[in-house]
Amino acid sequence: MIRICFALLVAGFTAAQALAAESNKTLFPAVQPDAGTLTIYSTTDLVAIKPLIEDFQKSSPDVSIDYNEYLTNELNALASEACRKQEPLGDLLLSSSVDQLLKLANDGCAAAHTSPETLRVAEWANWRDEVFGFTYEPAVFVYNRSKVPPAEVPRTHVELADLLRERLDYYRGRVGTYDIRLSGIGYLLAFNDARQTTTVFGRLLESMARASAVARCCTGEILEEVAKGNLYIGYNMLGSYAYDAAQRHPELGVVVPRDYTLVLSRGALIPKGAQRADLGARFLDYLLSERGQSVARTNAFYFTESGELPPGVDGPQNLKESGVAQPIRIGPALLAVQDRAQRQRFIEDWSQSLIELNSPAWTRE
Amino acid sequence: MRILLVEDTHDVGEAIARRFEATGHAVDWETNGRDAAEIIDFTEYALIILDVMLPGMDGFEILKRIRKSGNAVPVLILTARSEIDDRVGALDLGADDYLVKPFDFRELEARARVLMRRHTGGEATNLIKCGDIAVDRGTRSVHVGKREVQLKRRELTLLEVLVGRPGRVFSKDELLDQIFGFDEAANANAIELYIGRLRKKLEGAKAHIVTVRGLGYQLVPGDAP
Amino acid sequence: MRPEALQHGPSLFGRLARRISFVLFIGAALLVSAAWYYAETAANKAYDRLLVGAALQMAESLSVEDGILTARLPTSAFELLGLADRDRIFYRVIDTHGQTLTGYDDLKTPTPLERAQDPLSVEEGVYKGEPVRIAHATRILADPAVSGRAYVIVAQTNEARLALTRELTLRATILVFIMSLLAFAGAMLAIRYALQPVEQLGTEVRGRDPHDLTPVTVDVPRELDPFVSSINHFMGRLNERVDLLQRFIADAAHQIRTPLTALTAQIDLLGTGKLDKAGRQHFNRVKERTSELSRLTNQLLSHAMVIHRADSVQLEPISLVDVARRAYRVAIPVTVDPDIVISFEAPDDRPLVLGDAVSLREAIVNVIDNALRHGTDQRLEVRVRASGTQAFVEVEDDGPGIPPESWEKATQRFATSKSREGSSGLGFAIAQEVANAHGGTLSFRARDERGFTVVLSLPLYRGVAK
Repeated sequence: MIRICFALLVAGFTAAQALAAESNKTLFPAVQPDAGTLTIYSTTDLVAIKPLIEDFQKSSPDVSIDYNEYLTNELNALASEACRKQEPLGDLLLSSSVDQLLKLANDGCAAAHTSPETLRVAEWANWRDEVFGFTYEPAVFVYNRSKVPPAEVPRTHVELADLLRERLDYYRGRVGTYDIRLSGIGYLLAFNDARQTTTVFGRLLESMARASAVARCCTGEILEEVAKGNLYIGYNMLGSYAYDAAQRHPELGVVVPRDYTLVLSRGALIPKGAQRADLGARFLDYLLSERGQSVARTNAFYFTESGELPPGVDGPQNLKESGVAQPIRIGPALLAVQDRAQRQRFIEDWSQSLIELNSPAWTRE
Repeated sequence: MRILLVEDTHDVGEAIARRFEATGHAVDWETNGRDAAEIIDFTEYALIILDVMLPGMDGFEILKRIRKSGNAVPVLILTARSEIDDRVGALDLGADDYLVKPFDFRELEARARVLMRRHTGGEATNLIKCGDIAVDRGTRSVHVGKREVQLKRRELTLLEVLVGRPGRVFSKDELLDQIFGFDEAANANAIELYIGRLRKKLEGAKAHIVTVRGLGYQLVPGDAP
Repeated sequence: MRPEALQHGPSLFGRLARRISFVLFIGAALLVSAAWYYAETAANKAYDRLLVGAALQMAESLSVEDGILTARLPTSAFELLGLADRDRIFYRVIDTHGQTLTGYDDLKTPTPLERAQDPLSVEEGVYKGEPVRIAHATRILADPAVSGRAYVIVAQTNEARLALTRELTLRATILVFIMSLLAFAGAMLAIRYALQPVEQLGTEVRGRDPHDLTPVTVDVPRELDPFVSSINHFMGRLNERVDLLQRFIADAAHQIRTPLTALTAQIDLLGTGKLDKAGRQHFNRVKERTSELSRLTNQLLSHAMVIHRADSVQLEPISLVDVARRAYRVAIPVTVDPDIVISFEAPDDRPLVLGDAVSLREAIVNVIDNALRHGTDQRLEVRVRASGTQAFVEVEDDGPGIPPESWEKATQRFATSKSREGSSGLGFAIAQEVANAHGGTLSFRARDERGFTVVLSLPLYRGVAK
């Protein structure tokens, strides 16, 4: 049984823009007389970004922030279109789909920015001083404690594949993952999974297909369903969202895989020619600063490159030291991810493996 | 007294010779240096007046020969030369005095007289003192304290007499005899003149000449006014 | 003979240094340009390999699946290009029909692909307004379904190349700079060394006593021989001139003085006995004029002598008292008026001065003579004393003295106040000439109750008498 969340298939950008602008716009007015409005286009959940914006406004009380939330692919489509028309989209783009940001930068849609804060950024998370990674988010497994017995909790990708194969009936239709056709992050994570070890990924994909894994557009949905018990296991969930959900729903368990863990860094980019590029840079500097990182660690994104895992997360003591962390390098290799032929075929392959195997279920619905 | 004049310029030689002959000296006048040098070897003179630029042998050569042979005859050099290239002056070669041409003939005569008298006098170098007045008979110089005072011949003779016996009162006649000798005519007024000059020249000295009324003069070394 | 302040032309060292640094600078500039060129070539070669490698990898990834040409662009190709980590990458895959399979639709090679001779090429180009290197690779497909030429075009911006070029050039520049510095320092040392003989010669000539006109004898390199012989030739000529002048003055002295002496002798012989009153008057006037002429002649010759000696006689430490006493004896005639009190006062120690005894004596004689003739009424005192770093010869007389306003004029030749009729006026000029030649001065002290004083001051000599 596959239910695909057709949230918004981008039919026409203008229509989408108009619609999105209404539904996902949040304004954080300036505390003090307004020095200007910083327009942020983002894929990050409002809940996650809110503490950061509010803290930022403490140090910059004169800045209003217009926060626009989109799905990664929507945002990418909007930004590409805006760049082509040379009408910059907002003053700062935040996207968990860094490959899309990288493509934008490669196409010359980004403005470079250097500051003491950008110098702090790890080398793998900075490309051309145009695209910066400002979070450290492992891709994790989540499971429902009441549905998955402790002995069965998978701790590696192979264990997950084996579990699904062994307890096929029990887990049929109970495993959720991103629909990579809709989710940029899903595609990025899947692509990188495929690059890690093709055999493991193949096995896992096959196991998931057999277990009639369900694909969803967004992390939130899967987490919700796992929390409710509709789904038992969620695969390749963003660590920050997973941990946040786990705090709200004690039955949610979070596992950082011990064989390898893809680590995604949410990207930030200042569009070339942005009207208030200065404000964009200011907010970017804040995100990268000690203070911003600390607020992010406590309130929004929880994981850090060098620190320990947050309490209650099952995984290696320290991601960096254990060596399982595989950060997705923000670099030209992501262009391969963004190649349209590549993408098309990868998604086809994925769909074939995961969905067509389940076509009976698809037709059933 | 016998004087040798070596001078090749006729006009000059003639004038000098005449002047000295007029005062009763015998003058041998030579115009050639070599001849002069030979004559000196076997003739004794009271004074030799020597020109420098001479045919035969120049004045300095002759002077050197004289001194080399141990002859102490007073030599007065006459020179027309500029001292432009003279590294060694006439005096350094043993001349007793020298005059640069053109000179005043009275000055020549006066200097010659001084030289001849000094030579014949033959006084040993001795110093006589009275208070802060010192008279060197050898160099015929007089010092008042540090100051060397120039005295004329008779003034010096007068001072020598007085200094020789400090405190003693010399009568005018006594002094006349001592100073002018018997052959020269002079009167007591001359003594007063010389005493006056001497006093003036010794001004500033502690020793002084005291006039003893009716008796004569005495030199007092003391500090009395 | 003391030269005016020498106009310093550019030094030989400076000129050589300038030329050499110019040559070095040009050389360094050429080397740096060459380094830039080579660095650029090297950087291009290095990064072109990556570019071509990536293009080949991409071309290799083309395959025909189910009769359709598909491209599975390998991530490794991008990673390869990513080695130039700041460069943007553009690519395009063109199928056998000339349709874009994937990548940037508008990316083209500067030379149209149809005309490309080689299956591989790298060219300069511009894409999206950025200068780029564009490579293309050709894949010939002979599948029954798909046959023909497929192309892969890969372009990369130049940032890494420029950075590498810059870095290589910078390093080369540093090396060139260091080498230039070393070369410059070496050249400077060599020049210094080569110029040492010139310096030595200079020191020798400079350190010479100005009166020493003997030839310079310094060992100099052959190249300097003409210079030294010129100096020596010049010295020789100067020496001849000095000798000539000396002879001239000596001759003049003799030739003028002898007839003058004869003249005075004849006047002396003439006597006054046989003359009437008018004749006596004329005779006296002739006598006066003759003695004036004698005096003037003596002063002129004396003046010439002191000037000449200032240039040609070496100064020696001498006792100023001895010189002054001798001058005193010479200057005071035996026939002086017996009523004048004349005294000479010397200090207990014997102050030494560095000087020419003859000139100094002449100077003092002239001052005393002047005082005697024009100043002294009843008293003339000559004093030698020393104080501080100076030695003084003071000639004091009880005459009217010279008023201060005439002091400056008094030392000029033949310039005398009308009140001192008959003066030939060279006396002070001579004394001042001598004083200056000895580093001293001739000055006057205004008349006080004792008298008017002329002071000749000379620097004391601190060494030991020879």
